[in-house]
Amino acid sequence: MSGEAINNQPKQSALMAVLASFWFEFRQNRGAFYGLIFMSILLICAFLADFISPYSPIEQYRDALKLPPVWVDGGTWAHIFGTDALGRDMLSRMIYGSRFSFYIGVIVICICLTVGVMLGLIAAFNKGFIENCIMRLMDIILAFPSLLMALALVAILGPSLLNAMIAIAVVYIPHFVRLTRAQALSELGKDYVSSSKTMGASQARLMFINVLPNCMAPLIVQATMSFSSAILDAAALGFLGMGAQAPTPEWGTMLADARQYIQSDPWMMGIPGLAILFTVLSINLIGDGLRDALDPKMKTSKT
Amino acid sequence: MFSFLFRRLLVLIPTYIGITLTAFVFIRVIPGDPILVMSGERSPSPEKYAELMHAFGFDQPLYVQYFEYVKDLLQGDFGKSIVTGRPVLEEFFELFPATVELAAFALFFALLIGIPAGIIAAVKRGTFYDHTLMTISLTGFSMPLFWWALLLIVFFSGYLGWTPVSGRISALYFFDTPTGFMLIDSWLSNEEGAFKSAVMHLILPAVALGTIPMATFARQSRSAMLETLGEDFIKTARAKGLSPFKVTVVHAFRNALIPIVTVIGLSVGVLLGGAILTETIFSWPGIGKWMVDSIFRRDYPVVQGGLILIATIVIMVNLTVDVLYGIIDPRISKKGH
Repeated sequence: MSGEAINNQPKQSALMAVLASFWFEFRQNRGAFYGLIFMSILLICAFLADFISPYSPIEQYRDALKLPPVWVDGGTWAHIFGTDALGRDMLSRMIYGSRFSFYIGVIVICICLTVGVMLGLIAAFNKGFIENCIMRLMDIILAFPSLLMALALVAILGPSLLNAMIAIAVVYIPHFVRLTRAQALSELGKDYVSSSKTMGASQARLMFINVLPNCMAPLIVQATMSFSSAILDAAALGFLGMGAQAPTPEWGTMLADARQYIQSDPWMMGIPGLAILFTVLSINLIGDGLRDALDPKMKTSKT
Repeated sequence: MFSFLFRRLLVLIPTYIGITLTAFVFIRVIPGDPILVMSGERSPSPEKYAELMHAFGFDQPLYVQYFEYVKDLLQGDFGKSIVTGRPVLEEFFELFPATVELAAFALFFALLIGIPAGIIAAVKRGTFYDHTLMTISLTGFSMPLFWWALLLIVFFSGYLGWTPVSGRISALYFFDTPTGFMLIDSWLSNEEGAFKSAVMHLILPAVALGTIPMATFARQSRSAMLETLGEDFIKTARAKGLSPFKVTVVHAFRNALIPIVTVIGLSVGVLLGGAILTETIFSWPGIGKWMVDSIFRRDYPVVQGGLILIATIVIMVNLTVDVLYGIIDPRISKKGH
């Protein structure tokens, strides 16, 4: 629609026009917009946790054990979300917990993007033996259910949040490799790559300057979706006792702690669970919006 | 068709070697001495230690150990559990029906609700129904499974008291389990109430496990249906005066099946992964719980054998899906894709 107009303008404003049209497409999707708002609030919480959280997340208030949230009978404004079984303030733990969610998502995605894109490009550019080796290796990882593989990896590396993140990243890498390779292969057949080759571009230049930018759209969508799965899987590992260890205020670990109080004090389990659900839901909404804006062919949620 | 199948099987060989190698390496790279780790608190005497080292073959060079292991595998010997002393394969086949039963019902539930929901959303695109169904399915898709399972327990078992909390059948019933599938066995047993008890035990875990696949199916079938509904042959079918039902189900749905079958195939891995959490929460005695328990108990032969067996299932399912493609869309196997 506005493609021709963009091409005719100078480079600087062309970029602005692309961004503007991206923002226009993105905003069309109301869900994505709300998701972005929720994630922005969460990001602020994560950054300003030291300033906005009312208490320390690990300090135990022995005179206020298992206090219900303020909207339930017996709750006080001193602890808005109540306290857990050890008397730690739930609100503060939730606020600090948002840090871990971003931390997990960002680290996992960084590992996946770096390793996955490298391997995918190498596979696409080196047909034959190297490609076969890489792709078979990915098949092997994909043959194990991801949570089981991550669980086994953490058992080897030792239970900790960092090891859980590494394990999750390893399990997600094959998706990035396959996507990058498929995308790069389809780009490699195009004229602009052949002409760049004819002009004597090096392989590194072909890989990173010519081909990679044209593979980015689906990779961004995949990264967004993996961000939310990483949070879910890290919470699941935490829940099984193989992720973050006490007293880290990670939401999955908090859920595991609250499990024995599920009948007597259900809010202890409800609050972190809802937080995980809303975070993952928001990221998935953003992912849907990104896909609609970046790749009009794959439109799913637009009418 | 057969050359297609043959080529697919040939590619599996290196993958399979890799899988056995991965499972084999898992045990060897664990920090610390495997014998000391396995024996835990009870530190063995030097003689006992040497004996154990020899029994597990750890005194051999690594490559010899690997070939010995593969040789055993090819003869169907997956080693013995350290905790129970029983062969891994025997334990696996004893617990496997429980997981199949759970996963099959979860899949059934997911298909029964997910696909019609997706079709309705696609046909009623842009309406209130579409938005509601897609919001529900995205929520289901984003649900932390372990939390959802606990919520179901709190509400249906705790608050309403409709279903039991854990296990496969009430402890009051005793009967033979020739098939291992509790629904069939309880039906055959002729014990009054046994079948009902088995069904009640199955419902909640199956719904919990089926929720995420259900949401995936709904989303996928909606987008696949939207794609085919826009094609020319649908317009032709409509122009011919076929009923909307026939156009939707016979013409559009059949052509939307390829992407849907893909997701169903992929969801088997999701179901097996989800079974780990579901079985742990509902104390369902299947292979998911077995693997988690073994990982925690450091029962390494079980972890090793279990990983290989589970990977085998995933690979077999993927192969079946590939063959199914050829049946649904003959163009694919001809292209040799």
